[in-house]
Amino acid sequence: MATSPPIETVTTDVLIIGAGAAGLRTSIELAEKGIDCLVLGKRDHGDAHTIWAAGGINASLGSLDPEDRWEIHAADTFNEGHLVNDATAVELLCQRAPERIRELDAWGIDFNRTDDGTINQRYFGAQSFRRTCFVGDRTGKALMETLVQKAMTLNVPYRQNLYITDLVVDDGRATGAVGFDMETGRPVAFDADAVVIAAGGHTSLFRRSSSRPDENTGDAQALAFRAGVSLRDMEFVQFHPTGKVHPEEEAGHLVTEAVRGEGGRLYNAEGERFMERYSPNQMELDARDVVARAIEQEVREGRGTENDAVLLDISHRDDAYIHERLPRMVEEFAEQGVDITKEPMEVAPTAHYAMGGIEVNFETGQTAVDGLYAVGECTTGVHGANRLGGNSLVETIVFGQITGQHIAETLSTRPHTPLSEAQVREYVAAQDHLAASEGTHTPEEIMTHLRNLMWDHAGILRNEDSLLTGLHQLQQLQEAARDLDVQADRTTLRYENAQNVRSMLITAETILRGALERTESRGAHARTDYPDKDPAWKQNIRCVPTGNGGMDVAIHAVDAPSAPVQRAIDEEHELDYHHLE
Amino acid sequence: MTLNVEIKRYNPEKDDAPHWESYEVPADPLDSALALLLHVKWHIDGTLSLRKSCAHGVCGSDAMQINGENKLACSVLVQDLVDNDGATVKFAPLPAAPVIKDLVIDQSRFFEKYREVKPWLINDNPAPEKERKQSPAEHEIIEEATKCIMCGACTHACPSTWASPDYLGPAAMLKAYRYTFDTRDDGEGERLDTVDSENGLWKCYTIFNCNEACPKDIDITRWLSALKRRSAVTA
Repeated sequence: MATSPPIETVTTDVLIIGAGAAGLRTSIELAEKGIDCLVLGKRDHGDAHTIWAAGGINASLGSLDPEDRWEIHAADTFNEGHLVNDATAVELLCQRAPERIRELDAWGIDFNRTDDGTINQRYFGAQSFRRTCFVGDRTGKALMETLVQKAMTLNVPYRQNLYITDLVVDDGRATGAVGFDMETGRPVAFDADAVVIAAGGHTSLFRRSSSRPDENTGDAQALAFRAGVSLRDMEFVQFHPTGKVHPEEEAGHLVTEAVRGEGGRLYNAEGERFMERYSPNQMELDARDVVARAIEQEVREGRGTENDAVLLDISHRDDAYIHERLPRMVEEFAEQGVDITKEPMEVAPTAHYAMGGIEVNFETGQTAVDGLYAVGECTTGVHGANRLGGNSLVETIVFGQITGQHIAETLSTRPHTPLSEAQVREYVAAQDHLAASEGTHTPEEIMTHLRNLMWDHAGILRNEDSLLTGLHQLQQLQEAARDLDVQADRTTLRYENAQNVRSMLITAETILRGALERTESRGAHARTDYPDKDPAWKQNIRCVPTGNGGMDVAIHAVDAPSAPVQRAIDEEHELDYHHLE
Repeated sequence: MTLNVEIKRYNPEKDDAPHWESYEVPADPLDSALALLLHVKWHIDGTLSLRKSCAHGVCGSDAMQINGENKLACSVLVQDLVDNDGATVKFAPLPAAPVIKDLVIDQSRFFEKYREVKPWLINDNPAPEKERKQSPAEHEIIEEATKCIMCGACTHACPSTWASPDYLGPAAMLKAYRYTFDTRDDGEGERLDTVDSENGLWKCYTIFNCNEACPKDIDITRWLSALKRRSAVTA
């Protein structure tokens, strides 16, 4: 194997790993306060997983339901999260959401409007009021575009097609990162005073996932973990009830919740509207975990379609209404010859969102490592045991702003620690070593096995046997990964996959260990051997790194919600589905 | 079916000029054109370079010339291109742009033009306590234009772009329309200065190639005509 090209060194004050909504909003805050930063993305600029978010973004604006307020938004978030959320995170999220949404409006996002000209809001699962702002069914794309354009006005610099392999931590302080340029293959070292991880979730660890297969590989979590930061709540993985079933390459891609928000009905293969049995009041708009488990149950009991799926039908609505509210769904299904204004869509659950992730202090965005921050899906705490639809986009902009502001206010007090050349050389040598690796197992083979084992043993329904089997198989894969066959340079997909495998194996282990530890069912974590929620388990599970990839499992106490939010919880607000009929 | 896939290849480090290469690719009528290219890249020749990402017509990265027309490779099906076994599907980079390698063009000029029209909301008046009001009817004026995914299919299909590389082109001017006609925007003056110029609106001769190329079926010519009328009135 030829020696690698010379290392390029880049210096910036704040390095932001991830160019989706969370990373961009952080960069905008920094740039507005005159701080130098650099945004890194794995793909072309403007193309991040954010653009897949369809249905909307929550804020208690009360455009249509004036009785809504931030405390009720918080209560809904806690209820959906089964009270293991981080109380500070939830309250900041819900208090700050309205101002962030109006700021987006001032920056030009084209939210759909009410007849009065205010921002329109739709129903979304498990929310007491119409609270979800939307741009048709392409809200994430519109959010991304607005942030890219705002960043452009501030001349925020970015690098695209850049893969980060390691963080550089010196004496407990983050001093930069090492990666490579995916187009030229050149290794790159970044020297920075603060590093922000804003690199998304891990749901492509599962066989059927709404994520693109080469993204959300858990690299954000693994980067932090290897740098010494604990991961928390990893057992909570949201399975979205409605993923596509075919064509095969699109299996798992999302059918937006907005279809149900606009009145879509679920039927089993026998034509029965089965949610009447599982949730007679909230019906199809009950929490995502409830609907996903109901579908799984219908399929396991033999009432699914031949593709182990159920039917989602919106055809009772007017054609024009469906075209106005769900244009992308109409278009995507039309490509497959399905006219959703006339016939149902075939859907099944799909891994969709990581509630768990990197532990941070939400008032600052700071992790346990000095100078290392994290924002967005890669963190844990906002969503508890399950996420309310429409809360993920708003999380990115609320905590991007908070983190950016905190860094801007404190950066000048941080003495500069130069990037350790020895560490840079060590990480680049490891990159070279991986590229040259000649062995038995391809990265693709390991990824496929891993995705199957996570789906089969740590999926929608779990138990001790399945999780122990999963852990055992994972250990075998970790062993196999020591004998990896790569022999490809840094510009190849094979090499990217080899790097992904490194992260995926770590992040998968934290999910399995967390799920095995939690001997109850709560939110998205459903144990068939412990089907009930156990009040004693109202706490968080942390995976604490012990060095060299090892981990300990520890318990973390949960703070109680503040008095006004507790009052809102006690008031028991609830969506009455039959408003929609 | 098996198709004859022809790709215009160019590696500046090795080739003096672009040349066509042929590949035999198994295909299903319901495959996307992108699937043909990925088959070549993954199973025949890993050195093939192309931009692609979401594979869903959302990100706009895989616009290219397919059988002579600018299209998104992920959004066109084999059955819409050819219907018989052994037929030829030809892939070339978008025309009138410098080629970096194979199907990858240098988009920097394209994005500079986008930037020139100030594609953001301009309004220096202090924002009200709540949002700026906009009725659904006012929103509808810009709604179709907001569906643009900046793939570049239109601009690189436009004869005015081919003739004048500095011409702003339909994609950038559609953005100018989208913000100028946004009732919350106050930047008409500065934006029209840019588009109402030698390299702007008046090089649009309503040839409609942009409309035909747009994978989102945006009636670009119609919105540029509205922008022309606004410019004429303002001038």
